[in-house]
Amino acid sequence: MGESAILETKCLNLWYGQKHALIDISVRIPKNTVTALIGPSGCGKSTLLRCCNRMNDLIDSSRVTGEILFNGNDIHDPRADVYTIREKIGMVFQKPNPFPKSIYDNVAYGPRIHGVSEKKVLDRIVEDSLRGAALWDEVKDRLYEPALALSGGQQQRLCIARCLAVEPEVILMDEPCSALDPIATAKIEDLIIQIAREHTVVIVTHNMQQAARASEYTGFMYLGKLIEFDKTTRIFEDPAEELTENYITGRFG
Amino acid sequence: MKKEQAALVPFQGFGRLRRPEVRIDPSSAGAKRQLVDRIVGKLLFSVALFAIIAVFFIIVFLLRDGYQIVLETGPWHFLTGQDWNPAGQNPIFGVLPLIVGTLLVMALAMVIAVPLSIGTAVYIAEIAGPGTKAVVKPAVELLAGIPSVVYGFFGLILLTDWIRVAFDQPSGSSWLAGSILLAIMAIPTITSVAEDAIGSVPREFREGSLALGANHWQTIKNVIVPGALSGISAAIILGMGRAIGETMAVLMVTGNAAVIPDPILNVFSPVRTLTGTLGIEMGEVAFGSQHYHALFGVAVVLLIITLAVNSTARLIINRIQRTSRPTPPGWAGAASVPFVRVARAVRDFVRPQTRILHPITAQRFAFSLIALSVISVIAVLGVIIAEIVVNGAGAITWEFLTGSPSDLGRAGGIFPAIVGTLYLVGGALAVAFPLGIATAVYLIEYTADTPLTRGIRAAVDLLNGTPSIVFGLFGFAFLVLFLNFGVSMIAGQITLALMILPTIIRTTEESLRSIPHSLREGSYALGATKWQTIWRVVLPPALPGILTGAILSIGRAAGETAPIMFTAVVFSSRYLPSSLSEPVMALPYHLFILTTSVPGASAQKYGTALVLLLMVLSIYLIAILVRRRCHRAKVM
Repeated sequence: MGESAILETKCLNLWYGQKHALIDISVRIPKNTVTALIGPSGCGKSTLLRCCNRMNDLIDSSRVTGEILFNGNDIHDPRADVYTIREKIGMVFQKPNPFPKSIYDNVAYGPRIHGVSEKKVLDRIVEDSLRGAALWDEVKDRLYEPALALSGGQQQRLCIARCLAVEPEVILMDEPCSALDPIATAKIEDLIIQIAREHTVVIVTHNMQQAARASEYTGFMYLGKLIEFDKTTRIFEDPAEELTENYITGRFG
Repeated sequence: MKKEQAALVPFQGFGRLRRPEVRIDPSSAGAKRQLVDRIVGKLLFSVALFAIIAVFFIIVFLLRDGYQIVLETGPWHFLTGQDWNPAGQNPIFGVLPLIVGTLLVMALAMVIAVPLSIGTAVYIAEIAGPGTKAVVKPAVELLAGIPSVVYGFFGLILLTDWIRVAFDQPSGSSWLAGSILLAIMAIPTITSVAEDAIGSVPREFREGSLALGANHWQTIKNVIVPGALSGISAAIILGMGRAIGETMAVLMVTGNAAVIPDPILNVFSPVRTLTGTLGIEMGEVAFGSQHYHALFGVAVVLLIITLAVNSTARLIINRIQRTSRPTPPGWAGAASVPFVRVARAVRDFVRPQTRILHPITAQRFAFSLIALSVISVIAVLGVIIAEIVVNGAGAITWEFLTGSPSDLGRAGGIFPAIVGTLYLVGGALAVAFPLGIATAVYLIEYTADTPLTRGIRAAVDLLNGTPSIVFGLFGFAFLVLFLNFGVSMIAGQITLALMILPTIIRTTEESLRSIPHSLREGSYALGATKWQTIWRVVLPPALPGILTGAILSIGRAAGETAPIMFTAVVFSSRYLPSSLSEPVMALPYHLFILTTSVPGASAQKYGTALVLLLMVLSIYLIAILVRRRCHRAKVM
């Protein structure tokens, strides 16, 4: 791969208590691309994703060995600030999880906790981020209404806007469309491609068409191992591993 | 597309979050907020320890003053001695009649309360439409809100009189009167826990039964009630705990002769309970005397009994929460076995009769019984409130509300008592509210399941089950005497604060738990620290629930007499207190003394009762409204 890697894991292993959930994962995620992680349920794709911004820290029984490098720095370095890591590596979750606040306050939440308090600046960030998430036109007249009044697809785009507002370099998306209908899904997929011009996106998906449509690179995982990682076209047209081919062609899953 | 074009514009850097130093190396600016986060964590931790320390102190001080009597009389004689005569030439301290009195009063109260409560719970959970439910449920909750001294007042004025006349007895102050009052007071506890248990029986069970052609009553009887049986047992045991720990109402109507009824089932015999003994004698005992130590011994016995009862209930409830198996194994299972057996026996006994009846007739019969229990519960509430409102309304004048008492409360007003109650409650809340919230936040947000958190939880449970008179005793021994605060407002405030602390912790914990985990994740994923997440994302939506808990505990504190009786109050004071170290008047205590020690003054009694009732009930009403509002907000 010619492009420079923004995220890189080296021999990453993770245990949940006794369960060995990730086994010797080494992968390089190229900058400003969309990378999809696919594989059957329970193969560890979400776990890998949650490792990348140390959300797994929140689970007491988890234990990690190996390295995850972000711009060349190990994120598990004891001197690293986990909050800065999460600021730079944002995340969008499976189910939209807007805060029970207004639309405006949802987007302004991130900048506010990172010390932005000036109203004018916040206004600007909110507008830019909502535009960035293709939501501005739909909500510009009701910024102060509760975010929970939005539809599911709008809520998910709001979560993306909320994530954009802290200017992350990487955005991790954990099955962001699995709770949405096809039309809302299509909007989010368009949005992902948009966002990837300025950001690196890693998306976990169950939907192979989605991986094929939206991503440049694809990793296939199975039982905690990364079986294959390559250009998406390659994975879908001419996979190197038989296991990958079996999965792609729907022989198991 | 228009949107896409719009999307292209902004990502040229927003230019205001520029912080070139933000990198993931050690020089990052994150050190400061990590420090803040760690300090807040440590702070919350030290506050959370307070519950353990408080329990430790309570136990130490009760034992410190109570163990001597056991040494002097021997544990066997103390527990099984048939005579309690502290004032005689040769004082004798045997607590058996007190224990028997406590258990008898409690048992008869349960016989009365359990059928009424379960009938009401079934009605609320299964039968009532939304309209009637909106009446019956708050009515039961209001019953819980009436202060125990008001129950005692009502009992002394109406109930004992009624018993005396109806059963042609020399005096109505009796076991029966105590049990009836306790039954009324235990009904809300049993009803609400049982209703929760019935409501949590899965819908599918219900539908499964109905789909087989069973009618509503058959479904309730054979599927729903058996499915909720462990929860109902827990409800009954909690009701028992409530009944055993009650002081004022019982003290006012049971006659207080320390005798074992003869014959043992003579419900018209006067009895005396453990709590009543403390309430009556603690005020007059000489500090450090043998009698004084004996009373602390009584408190220890009382604490052990309530602890045993409450932890049994808790075990059952925990089992239910952990496993949703119908019959829980182990300890709790063993504890609920008797109930299951009794229930089965009752069912077997009833079954032959119901088989003769046509199912429709059986249902009609059962539903009328249930309706009857609901009607009696509401009628009791109606009678109590009507009696006090009708007789008290005339007493309420401007002078009564704003004047100072004179002639032992027979004339003048109750202004100092109103203000004193507000002071006491305000102070208690100022202490307990921050402590309670911090403890709950620590328990829910900061810790996994460690031995220390389990210890804190156990301490909170223990505080929760402690009878209010025991708090009063502790406040007296520790704050008034040991710390030398004297009988003062501050001693009363701290004692009340200890009493309401577990309520605040519980309700706060519950509303924090109801905030979905995904919200916290959303915040962490944006780089927020733990404290930022708690403060900005978790606490705001939890606030209505927290406030409801706080308001409920205000209501409880305002109506309590036992904890302040020896720590903070005087009967008559012409002036308002000018500092925390002065004693105050308080409404519940004023009513207690008027009722028990001042003959005549009927208007003042009813007036005081009405003011107290209005004060407490309006506090509860606010809580109900707050809860309803936030329910509605959640639906949106």
